[in-house]
Amino acid sequence: MSQREGSLEDPQADSSISFLPHLEAKIRQTHNLARLLTKYAEQLLEEYVQQQGDPFGMPGFSPPRLSLAGLSGPSPSHAGLPLSERLRLDAAALGALPALLDAVRRHQAELNPRSPRLQRSLEEAARQARALGAAVETVLAALGSAARGPGPEHSATTALSTANSAASIFSAKVLGLQVCGLYGEWVNRTEGDLSQLVHGGVA
Amino acid sequence: MDVYSGWKQPSWMVDSKRMRMTLNLPWLLSALTLLHLTIQAHSLKRGAAQDLKCTTKNMHVWDCTWSASAGVSPGTVKEVCIKDRLNSCHRLESTNIKIAALSPGDHEVTINYLNGFQNKFTLNEKDVSLIPDTPESLNLSADFSTSTLHLRWNDRGSAFPYPSNATWEIKVLQNPSMEPVKLVSFNTTLSGQDIVHHWNWTSDLPLQCAPHSVGIRWYIDHHRFSGYKVWSDWSLLKNISWTPNSETNVFPQDKVILAGSDITFCCVSQTKVLSGQIGRTFCPLIHLYGENVAIRIQNISVSENSGTNVVFTTEDNVYGTVVFAGYPPDVPQKLNCETHDFKEIICSWNPGRPTGLVGPRNTDYTLSESISGKSVAFKRFETLTNESYRLAFQMLPGQEIHNFTLTGRNPLGHAESAIFINITERVVPHVPVSLRVKDINSTVVALSWHLPGNFAKINLLCQVQICKASSEQEVRNATIKGAEGSSYLVAVDKLNPYTLYTFRVRCSTETFWKWSKWSNEKRHLTMEAIPSRGPDTWREWSSDGKNLIIYWKPLPINEANGKILSYNVSCSSNEETQSLSEILDPQHKAEIQLEKNDYIISVVAKNSAGSSPPSKIASMEIPNDDILVEQAVGMGKRIFLSWHPDPNMTCDYVIKWCNSSRSEPCLMDWIKVPSNSTETIIESDQFQPGVRYNFYLYGCTNQGYQLLRSIIGYIEELAPIVAPNFTVEDTSADSILVKWEDIPVEELRGFLRGYLFYFQKGERDTPKTRTFETGHSDIKLKNITDISQKTLRIADLQGKTSYHLVLRAYTHGGLGPEKSMFVVTKENSVGLIIAILIPVAVAVIVGVVTSILCYRKREWIKETFYPDIPNPENCKALQFQKSICEGSSALKTLEMNPCTPNNVEVLESRSIVPKIEDTEIISPVAERPGECSEADPENHVVVSYCPPIIEEEISNPAADEAGGTSQVVYIDVQSMYQPQAKPEEEQGIDPGVVAGYKPQMRLPINSAVEDTTAEDEADKTAGYRPQANVNTWNLVSPDSPRSTDSNSEIVSFGSPCSINSRQFLIPPKDEDSPKSNGGGWSFTNFFQNKPND
Repeated sequence: MSQREGSLEDPQADSSISFLPHLEAKIRQTHNLARLLTKYAEQLLEEYVQQQGDPFGMPGFSPPRLSLAGLSGPSPSHAGLPLSERLRLDAAALGALPALLDAVRRHQAELNPRSPRLQRSLEEAARQARALGAAVETVLAALGSAARGPGPEHSATTALSTANSAASIFSAKVLGLQVCGLYGEWVNRTEGDLSQLVHGGVA
Repeated sequence: MDVYSGWKQPSWMVDSKRMRMTLNLPWLLSALTLLHLTIQAHSLKRGAAQDLKCTTKNMHVWDCTWSASAGVSPGTVKEVCIKDRLNSCHRLESTNIKIAALSPGDHEVTINYLNGFQNKFTLNEKDVSLIPDTPESLNLSADFSTSTLHLRWNDRGSAFPYPSNATWEIKVLQNPSMEPVKLVSFNTTLSGQDIVHHWNWTSDLPLQCAPHSVGIRWYIDHHRFSGYKVWSDWSLLKNISWTPNSETNVFPQDKVILAGSDITFCCVSQTKVLSGQIGRTFCPLIHLYGENVAIRIQNISVSENSGTNVVFTTEDNVYGTVVFAGYPPDVPQKLNCETHDFKEIICSWNPGRPTGLVGPRNTDYTLSESISGKSVAFKRFETLTNESYRLAFQMLPGQEIHNFTLTGRNPLGHAESAIFINITERVVPHVPVSLRVKDINSTVVALSWHLPGNFAKINLLCQVQICKASSEQEVRNATIKGAEGSSYLVAVDKLNPYTLYTFRVRCSTETFWKWSKWSNEKRHLTMEAIPSRGPDTWREWSSDGKNLIIYWKPLPINEANGKILSYNVSCSSNEETQSLSEILDPQHKAEIQLEKNDYIISVVAKNSAGSSPPSKIASMEIPNDDILVEQAVGMGKRIFLSWHPDPNMTCDYVIKWCNSSRSEPCLMDWIKVPSNSTETIIESDQFQPGVRYNFYLYGCTNQGYQLLRSIIGYIEELAPIVAPNFTVEDTSADSILVKWEDIPVEELRGFLRGYLFYFQKGERDTPKTRTFETGHSDIKLKNITDISQKTLRIADLQGKTSYHLVLRAYTHGGLGPEKSMFVVTKENSVGLIIAILIPVAVAVIVGVVTSILCYRKREWIKETFYPDIPNPENCKALQFQKSICEGSSALKTLEMNPCTPNNVEVLESRSIVPKIEDTEIISPVAERPGECSEADPENHVVVSYCPPIIEEEISNPAADEAGGTSQVVYIDVQSMYQPQAKPEEEQGIDPGVVAGYKPQMRLPINSAVEDTTAEDEADKTAGYRPQANVNTWNLVSPDSPRSTDSNSEIVSFGSPCSINSRQFLIPPKDEDSPKSNGGGWSFTNFFQNKPND
């Protein structure tokens, strides 16, 4: 049993907390998963961009972000939050991403019906985001910090469904690009936060 | 006339836009000018009305107006009267009047004024203008998604006589320019009712990009109205504008267009648009109004699956749209409809050129059948290749004729293809399943299978493929009455018993269209039948002649008709029948103890179906004494045999063969040949090259078999593997008799064709004779082709000479190994005797002659070789002290008394004469100067000669004398030249320096002159010198061949002596036994080649 400093709930009050071996293993496992998904997310974004045609993927092409109700990218102030809060945000975002990725997959199934690989990648990304979110929630629960619960997924799904049905194909493409980007950003952020947890850098 | 003319004038002035285009314009202008001048003149004279103008909106009522003449106010009009019409006068007080349309033709119109003034006009319908009311648009709408304007209006046709033709003109204005971007005319027919018309127009520029306005006007043409047709006024403009929203700013959105066409995209923006691009290609911006811009794409190419992106970039945002460029569906190609089961019709087609559109924009196909009115839609699926599409159409009972139309439709258009078929002629049955085979008998089976489908109304044509294990194929056709979902059964006959067959079936219909696929294969082994014949039989008597061995061959499978279980063998004669117990397969041989009588052997093969007919053969052969053994050689594993036809042979021929090295009976195999054959090729895997086989040809008669020919042969001849074993039977001085033995047949490996015999001189183990080189001239070769010859005498040889003999046998397969032998011929005795006797005789003769000569010349010889020796006692100079020489009569020294000797002869008892060839002892001192003192005096008598010592002795003679010592100097005969060379030179340089005694020994160096010179020089020196003239010295041995060689450089001394002493150092006894050191000759040397030996 190793002793680590700080507490997720109240790092100022309790300077020492002990992790059970299985918890430590779980954190490492989750961190490894996040690290793996970081690479997958990069590949997904690459493949998505490739299937949308020019100028998607061209240097300098950066459409502005569309607003997605219930999910936004990690804010710059994210790093300043306590680790537990960051992990809660990570879990919430990861919980919202599968529905968004599924919506993108459905749209791509119509737009690119001859690209089953992209659809498979999107499907797997949704599953992996769900798994990573659940793992983070498990870590949070083990550390005594409850997640916020299933809130954003439904609202995000609704928002995207509405956007998809009303928006043009171009907007849907941009939206898919944004979702794939968000997936990478949140996975990357989660990996960073878990890395701090693994290496004892609890804020 | 004038008035009339006055009425006419206004009518010409009605409207310059009248549609009377048939007049001649110059003529018209001239007439107008003339009329105008005339009317002006009358008006001024009478105050007449001017500018009568009549128009009509509906051809029912004319509306005429005129302007009053000068001086007449408009309110002074009393009435207007029209001639030729009832109630033709109309009271009025204005200058316009609406009158019912007048009939065609001229009508006189009179206008009466209150003041009594009167104007008269001639009014004609031709002068009336038909100007319809301005049309009113009921509605103008826009479909922004398609950039289409929809205009709707009412023609008010009920107001016009019908049928009338209406010509409409519509203009479309686009902001900001007020020039029409579209002006279109078209005709309609007024039917007497109010009809609402529609007009659609699709804009190149998306309607969202700019406000659009639409106006409309018209004119009417009626065939019974001869007046002027004039356009109505333009209607009020109807406007269409798009209310921009925040989400969509680029138009058109998600449009599907024909590849290769042109399209304009616009961006509605409040801020400045920086760029517009399609894909990665940037396009020049077309400014519309405000900040709105557009780009024009010409000849757009086919899009990717996800469409072509069009993007506008503003300072703070990116807007875009996607366009899908593709093609309308191609005409479905290779449309084909057929049925497998009469339940559904499968239609397949090739979509043709790809449309480039996928997903929701892909082509939808609909298959319609016009007779039944049914249709079925094709469920879209994405295919990457241009493969065939298939669609199933459920058949209606009883309907055979079908008229199909296949329509493909996508957002860009549609295409269709049709086919008209009688489905009974388009049948491709399913694959037959559940194929079963059932035995009926050994040659017939029943084949059954199931064929799904309803074929009750047609006949099926099926094929049965029959394959034997030997890959032999046969296809048989069978026509079967069709049924619904039934199994079908056919009998397949003419099969072989106990044969493994593979069956499979496929079907079509009598009205052949296509075969079904082959069913799965079914293997079946037919039933057994009795063997069709008895086994092929032969017999041999055992070597002791007591037993008869019966052989038979297993029946081939096509004659065995089953698995042979056993054989029954029986022997029968006139007296008895003897049967052996059942012999189980695979034994194919039986042995019966029989007397050598005539028996008939019978062999029967049995399988589970029964026994074969017996195969019979007689136990005894018909004797034939006239048999010659012939030879034959085959090729490969085959050998060809032929014979003359023999009419006596009625059954067949049998050829049996065996390995000749085997003991009897050595039957390997036999074959039977029909009696009409005269040749056969025997082939067997057992044949091996180099093995001798015996072949026997038997002819069959009713009495039995008779041996006709006996042949020994090889399939292939090889070279012998052993050499013939040969021996030398006799040897003489000039010949050798060789004898050899036969090579065993097993080792001969072919027919012996002869022997090769080589011989040459040579001894064992000398390289030259180890092998015979081809073409070597020393080798003698004898080819012995008479294989019965077993001896060979080799003549003309040299005596006592070793010869190398080699013998090899050969066949057509090549030469066998060689066997060699070395033989030495005997010595020739006569020659030896001659060789001995002749030298002996010569030596004797020479000796005798020499003796005679010596005897006769003995005085001369004595003088020459043995002159008288002067008495030393007579010489005082040679008198030695008595004490020294006393007691030794052999020692004689010179007495140094003054005397004058006549002659001095020094005798050497141990004269050594080295041979000239013996270079080893020529100058041992010179070669090994350090070993001079160790020289063996016995072998080298003068090896002690050392010139330096001489020098020393010469240089210091006084010291030697003072010491009273004597120095013995041995002078090497051979080394005398060189050591003396230097002293000679030194003496020559300064002879006066050398003083005292010096031995007067100057060995001659071949030249008498030198000797003379030396003597002269010696004369100049002081002291004593031995008076020895070496030129006169001779070997003491008369045997020495050198003794008479006065020119020899090798000179021998007599006895060595001390120069200082006066005595001889060698005892005188040696004088009597001189030794010849190899220099003489003996009788044995007479025959010696080497002198050293």
